[in-house]
Amino acid sequence: MNQPKEGKGDIRQILSDLVEKSGVLTAMLISKEGVSITEAGDTSYLNTTAMAALVAGMFSATREVARMVGEKQFSILLQQGENRHIHISLVHDSKMMVIVFEDYQRIGLVRHEARKSGEAISNVLARCDKPEGAEEIATPQFKEYALNLIDRIFQTK
Amino acid sequence: MPHINYQDKEISFKIVYYGPGMSGKTTNLMYIHSALDKERTGEIVILDTQEERTLFFDFFPLELGRIEGYSVRFNMYTVPGQVFYEASRRLILEGADGVVFVADSQKSRLEENIESFTMLQKSLSGFGVDWTRFPLVLQYNKRDLSDLLPLGTLEGQLGLNGLPIFEAVAVEGRGVMETIRTASRQVIEKFQL
Repeated sequence: MNQPKEGKGDIRQILSDLVEKSGVLTAMLISKEGVSITEAGDTSYLNTTAMAALVAGMFSATREVARMVGEKQFSILLQQGENRHIHISLVHDSKMMVIVFEDYQRIGLVRHEARKSGEAISNVLARCDKPEGAEEIATPQFKEYALNLIDRIFQTK
Repeated sequence: MPHINYQDKEISFKIVYYGPGMSGKTTNLMYIHSALDKERTGEIVILDTQEERTLFFDFFPLELGRIEGYSVRFNMYTVPGQVFYEASRRLILEGADGVVFVADSQKSRLEENIESFTMLQKSLSGFGVDWTRFPLVLQYNKRDLSDLLPLGTLEGQLGLNGLPIFEAVAVEGRGVMETIRTASRQVIEKFQL
């Protein structure tokens, strides 16, 4: 049986709705390993790959700080700049939703929409477990092709 | 375990360069980044102090290509080497699919190498990883200097017989590509779901 067509498309839609409703610049969902899962809004000004890696590192560091003061983790991080601000919230224990916005007076709205979207994304992720047939990725053919690519890319001159 | 996005058919592996302070981890990464085709790599992120020491981590993504319909990427990281950055190191190491241990070959750095490797073992064990089966490559860097540790010293002292080892002079690029090629191959060979 195939996995229903829900997942990244649904999450992108949730983030797009968030961008529209709260008037923010960008919304991203990233994994705790620092990989960008999906993005919505304007990303033209942003290196989203580097952003994902840095935010994941920042969030991990904050988790250590939380532990130092006896908390399991801080679920929200807010960075206030002069013109742009970042709201980061933990979603589904292992993902982070990053929202970049410009009008700081909207912080209440951003937090409200972030909480709602976070819950919706969490529900989608709970339904998105590994599809049947996923094991096919780690086949000998996959590995052989990957190894050939590695030899080609990292060849010494 | 790599990060897999089944909907978009993307797989991301994480390779971490680990080792004592100033052993040449960032130099390895910068050489690889400069040597590869630009369309394969994203921008390199270097977070260091004024003394050229890595503060948090260095990072760049490498697109391997499309395999069996999946877009495969290696995310390459370094950790800060200095002892007091242990918390940062552990965070970056979390979720790693393979590690390159960059040792400083100078005899005077033997203790730092061993201390760093012991921390690596401890962190991996803390994540529930069986480090004896984990993709791991040892690089003896700075082989152009004098008063060097003979090859085999670290493996002997740490009980790491059978580990792939490479001699390198990372500032000149010597041994850098051989090291990453073997580490990447191990990551793929040991990859299972």
